[in-house]
Amino acid sequence: MSKIIQASDLVLAYKKNEPIIKNTSISVEAKDFVFLTGKSGSGKSTFLKSLYGELPVAGGKLNVCGFDLESINHKKLNLLRKHIGVIFQDYKLINEWTVEKNVMLPLMIAGYSKQVCQMQAHKLLKHVKLSHKTEKYPLELSGGEQQRVAMARALAHNPVLIIADEPTGNLDDYSSEVIWNLLKSVRQHIGSTIIVATHRIPQTLGIDYKQYFLDEGNIYAVS
Amino acid sequence: MQSLKNHLSFIVPLFILLFSIQFSTMLNRAVDNYESKLAGDYTIIVISQKKLPQKEIAKVLPEIKTIKEISKERYIKRLQKDISKTDLVYLKASLPRFYSIKLKSFPTKEQLTQLTLKLKKLPGVQKVETYKKTFNKLQQFLHLAKTASLIFTVFISIISILLIIKQMEIWTLQHSQRMYIMGLFGAPYWMKSASLYKSVVIDAFIASILVGIAFLIIPSSANFATIYHDLGIDLRNFNFFSDVAMLLLISLVISIISVTIIILKNKQR
Repeated sequence: MSKIIQASDLVLAYKKNEPIIKNTSISVEAKDFVFLTGKSGSGKSTFLKSLYGELPVAGGKLNVCGFDLESINHKKLNLLRKHIGVIFQDYKLINEWTVEKNVMLPLMIAGYSKQVCQMQAHKLLKHVKLSHKTEKYPLELSGGEQQRVAMARALAHNPVLIIADEPTGNLDDYSSEVIWNLLKSVRQHIGSTIIVATHRIPQTLGIDYKQYFLDEGNIYAVS
Repeated sequence: MQSLKNHLSFIVPLFILLFSIQFSTMLNRAVDNYESKLAGDYTIIVISQKKLPQKEIAKVLPEIKTIKEISKERYIKRLQKDISKTDLVYLKASLPRFYSIKLKSFPTKEQLTQLTLKLKKLPGVQKVETYKKTFNKLQQFLHLAKTASLIFTVFISIISILLIIKQMEIWTLQHSQRMYIMGLFGAPYWMKSASLYKSVVIDAFIASILVGIAFLIIPSSANFATIYHDLGIDLRNFNFFSDVAMLLLISLVISIISVTIIILKNKQR
């Protein structure tokens, strides 16, 4: 099995000499479903940010989807991000765009025609049970609905790796269930690798997964 | 509403900038037009003992349009009753030749001084009358008009460009969240900035056409038309298509450079 994420002696920091993640090593295989758990401030979001290059590597090595992030340039970073779908805790939707256009974003970046982008967006919005809200703007939706739009956007381009930062943190049970079901389905049908930072792993997930626990800047595998 | 306000904040300074450029251009054209009219009316008188060879003079002094000898007969006829025939013959022989010179364009003060010196060096030339005093007043007035228009345009341009850059900064701040999110999904630079460029291109079109319309309406309005007519200035020198095309080119260059500077500045932050 090929490795999608491989970190060795990884150091991540917002300020020099104040590392959040200290000399940590982790490896994630293709099609793995991985949960990152740990208390607030343990560095879960920090680690996820480093995976899509928002936070530069301060030390050690980090390879994601075959790209070395410790020495990546802007052009290659854009290329890497085209292979990744990210679901943010605060959704990060473009408020002046409609729901449909938000979902189309990764496909537009990948260079697909408008027709293809629209077809794929409609398909995904149907999966997240929002096909009746395609022409709405994000601020017209509830938090749960916005997160489902963000979910559809993250899956639109069939990414190799899906990164989700507390995807169900603020959501009601219905929206949470829609999101977990979709993540399971994506892994099963597309074969994406999924890495989720969360406080609680759903009890009724019904799939094999790996769990890592973050504490004081270190990542431990939970068997 | 907010979007309209944003567009107007960009279109208004761009309109003022283009208006001042077009105003200055038209004023220069009107002054040039007026100068060529004056050049047609303006005459230099040369008094010479010898006949001036016209073809050779035209070769040495290319700024001369025509050189004509003024006939002496008219003046001599007036004196026929008062003086004897012998004196008249003697007078006719001793009178110098008078030439009237017209120039191709209205000369500057320096050009006129040079021309006078060159004319005086010609064999037989005794006197060159340029009517300097009248000429200088007119020349200074036209020079003042051109300089004033240039200074006005430069000042307006600086203020307008500063306003445009300020508006661009506001736009970039408004667009920064969208550009950031697009960047997280791997959007290249041109795609992140596309909507900003699209906005400025549309606004550049609107501003150029509005200036074009303004210059079609204003010079043809009754008040202006009377003033221009009284001054003898022809302001029908506005070609909507070529002038608007030039204004559009200027506004596109200014807008695209400004938006690129602002985006690059934000990229470095």
